Amino acid sequence: MEEIATTDLAIEKREQAVLELADFDEVVRVYRPRILRFLLASLADSDTAETLTQECFLKAWAARHQFRGESSLSTWLIRIAVNLMRDYLRSRSLRFWQKTRGSSLDVLDISDWVPDGRSSPESLAVARRQVDEVWKAVEKLSAQQRTVFALRFVDEMELDEIAAALCMNLSTVKSHLYRALAIVRERMGGKR
Amino acid sequence: MKTRRQGTGDSEGVETREEVRELAEALSLYRSAMTHLAERSTALPRVAVPRRSAPIRFRLLLGPALGAALAAGILLPVYGHLHHHDATVLQAQSVTTPDAASARASVDDTVLMNQIDSQLSETVPDALEPLALSSQSATQSSVSEKKQ
Repeated sequence: MEEIATTDLAIEKREQAVLELADFDEVVRVYRPRILRFLLASLADSDTAETLTQECFLKAWAARHQFRGESSLSTWLIRIAVNLMRDYLRSRSLRFWQKTRGSSLDVLDISDWVPDGRSSPESLAVARRQVDEVWKAVEKLSAQQRTVFALRFVDEMELDEIAAALCMNLSTVKSHLYRALAIVRERMGGKR
Repeated sequence: MKTRRQGTGDSEGVETREEVRELAEALSLYRSAMTHLAERSTALPRVAVPRRSAPIRFRLLLGPALGAALAAGILLPVYGHLHHHDATVLQAQSVTTPDAASARASVDDTVLMNQIDSQLSETVPDALEPLALSSQSATQSSVSEKKQ
């Protein structure tokens, strides 16, 4: 009985996801900031993040009939974005980091976007310094560590969702996340 | 002794908790900053696209037109110059040709006239040849009569 209910629920979810994709304008409106945020966090390059976000939705539009709702729409879009990012990194290989260094987001730009709801200028300065430290630490991560880190701590995805989006084992995701977090903690002055 | 160890452990635990709290706060701030930045970037292109489209249109339409005008400006004088040069050469050739042709023709005519002259001189008999023949025969007959 329970199994039947679970199956019905899964079918309903799939149908909902497919229906959600039917209104593509709404899909773009809802998910574009999220995809862009993930790509910004992963690539540290606003121009490339913008371009890949556009490409992500173009690909999604082209492949919308292939979407069966087996994963959530957000996971499907993240998977497309991750594939585009991999292709991009592969094609750029060594030149990527040179370009990223050249046109990466300024650290001050990032810290300028810290919400200004602090009680005092001192606490705002501390908050900005913390964001700077995280940003610098993320720059030191490998591409895979950065992707997992961004999906977990920027997109707040669950570990199994990350595993599905990246087509990785759950243990591999955990391993990347553990190492990434250790590097960030070390950078922040904590223990490894 | 045991109490001191416990005390050290507690302080380490407090430090770790404090550290984790700071890390969590930093990550939360980082997420907020990225979210704000992404929202701003999402909002910007809708405004920026029309601004960008004008230079793109300029580049797409006026660029080739200017290029074509420049090419025409450069190529036409060159073509004109070359065409003029060709015409001059042709004119020069046309000026020089009659002399050469006439010279060639004059040579040909001379040869031809000489050939005709020689043929005529061979085929046409001398105007006094019949008289010469008749006088010769008359002389021969008188000689034979005298012998008789």
